Amino acid sequence: MAKLNDNGFEPKIVAFLCRWCSYAGADLAGVSRMTYPANIIPMRVNCSGRVDAGMVMAAFEKGADGVLIGGCHPGDCHYVNGNYKTRRRVILLKRALAEVGVKPQRLHLEWISASEGVKFQRTVTEFTGLIKELGPSPMSGDGED
Amino acid sequence: MEKIRIGIYWAASCGGCDVSLLEIDEQILDVAAKADFVLWPCATDTKYADLRAYKDGSIDIVLFNGAIRTEENREIAKLLRDKAKHLVAYGSCAQMGGVIGLANLSSRKEIFTTLFGAKTHWPKEESIQDGYPLHLPAFLDRLLPLGDVVEVDYVIPGCPPPREMVSQFFDALLGGKLPEKGAVFAAEKNLCDECPRERREERITRIVRPHEIESDPEICLLDQGIICMGPATRGGCGAACPMANMPCTGCAGPTANITDQGATMLNTIASLIGTGLEGEEELEAEEAILAEIDDVIGTFYRFSLAASIFKGAQRE
Repeated sequence: MAKLNDNGFEPKIVAFLCRWCSYAGADLAGVSRMTYPANIIPMRVNCSGRVDAGMVMAAFEKGADGVLIGGCHPGDCHYVNGNYKTRRRVILLKRALAEVGVKPQRLHLEWISASEGVKFQRTVTEFTGLIKELGPSPMSGDGED
Repeated sequence: MEKIRIGIYWAASCGGCDVSLLEIDEQILDVAAKADFVLWPCATDTKYADLRAYKDGSIDIVLFNGAIRTEENREIAKLLRDKAKHLVAYGSCAQMGGVIGLANLSSRKEIFTTLFGAKTHWPKEESIQDGYPLHLPAFLDRLLPLGDVVEVDYVIPGCPPPREMVSQFFDALLGGKLPEKGAVFAAEKNLCDECPRERREERITRIVRPHEIESDPEICLLDQGIICMGPATRGGCGAACPMANMPCTGCAGPTANITDQGATMLNTIASLIGTGLEGEEELEAEEAILAEIDDVIGTFYRFSLAASIFKGAQRE
């Protein structure tokens, strides 16, 4: 990939997006022709509650520099409480990442509804900027946190 | 009838695995009657030169306990793989690094500094002691489970392997009925499946350590706020620890369907914790409960860190 940005680093970011809200939000951003960094690799999941800790770890293991999880706003989960489960999981996962020396900011959870194309665009842009600042993940092989 | 040739080896190990072999009580007499121990550094005097002199494949089965911490451990593991028809990872350390795998959270430098202080005090690989040359095996940067170094045929899990599993193994070995390669001498299902405690599906509203409460011996420890690794751990020990009022710490490793024991347990705890209500306003209370877990890696990966997705600290 061409390295054209400021510090020459183009991060890989895996985004787990829930089918009912965040993925639809990403769709809306797309059909509205909003632009955002092409660093994210979107993965559609049925619910943010489907994203188990092992999937996040596996994403980092396979070279992701950041992982974004998008779920429905509190109270809006299609499966009632999947997003709350993920929220608790992310709290523990961030601590686990910190304990093994990976910056916890590399994992980010955001509530994005189907109507929030703008929020999707903003979230991806800001998160990509943050990961660019942090540099490559130590789990991807060449970084150091 | 020709006797079965058994080898037992310890690598980075505490010695508990060697002792656990004696837990099979009088069955040890059957073992002694039908088998010869051709290598057992803990109990007999065997030199590496003798071991090297054995023909390849001439040892029927080797029970290997302990993890791979030094170059010597790695070298002997490879040698034993050649000499043995079947190689068994015996105990948590050989299977997945074990408790000592938590050392992977520290670098070699940090470990040596804690142990020996300034670098000038570190032991040297080559030195002269009392006029004789002394060679010490190199200390690896990271501790490895046996399976990362050589192919493993069977696993007998546990820290140390409990009597039931060891006994089951010797029954199979002496009866000439060793299972297919890859078998684990433990239950297929998780520990909860054989735990007699009653599960009440309570939400965890506070996390406590075993000594902090007088726990009810009839009710699931998770229901009482004690972190018990049962849901993510293989059964086969008869839920020995929960039966003794202590939580399972996960020594038998994950069940066959779980790839990362700690990740699975992390999911479990995240799902169970809660005030009983779900909602945005509960966030603070939930965070407070989660903060009671002191050491996330040490709790969820007590035995499996070296074999997990993380494998250890990522900073080097």
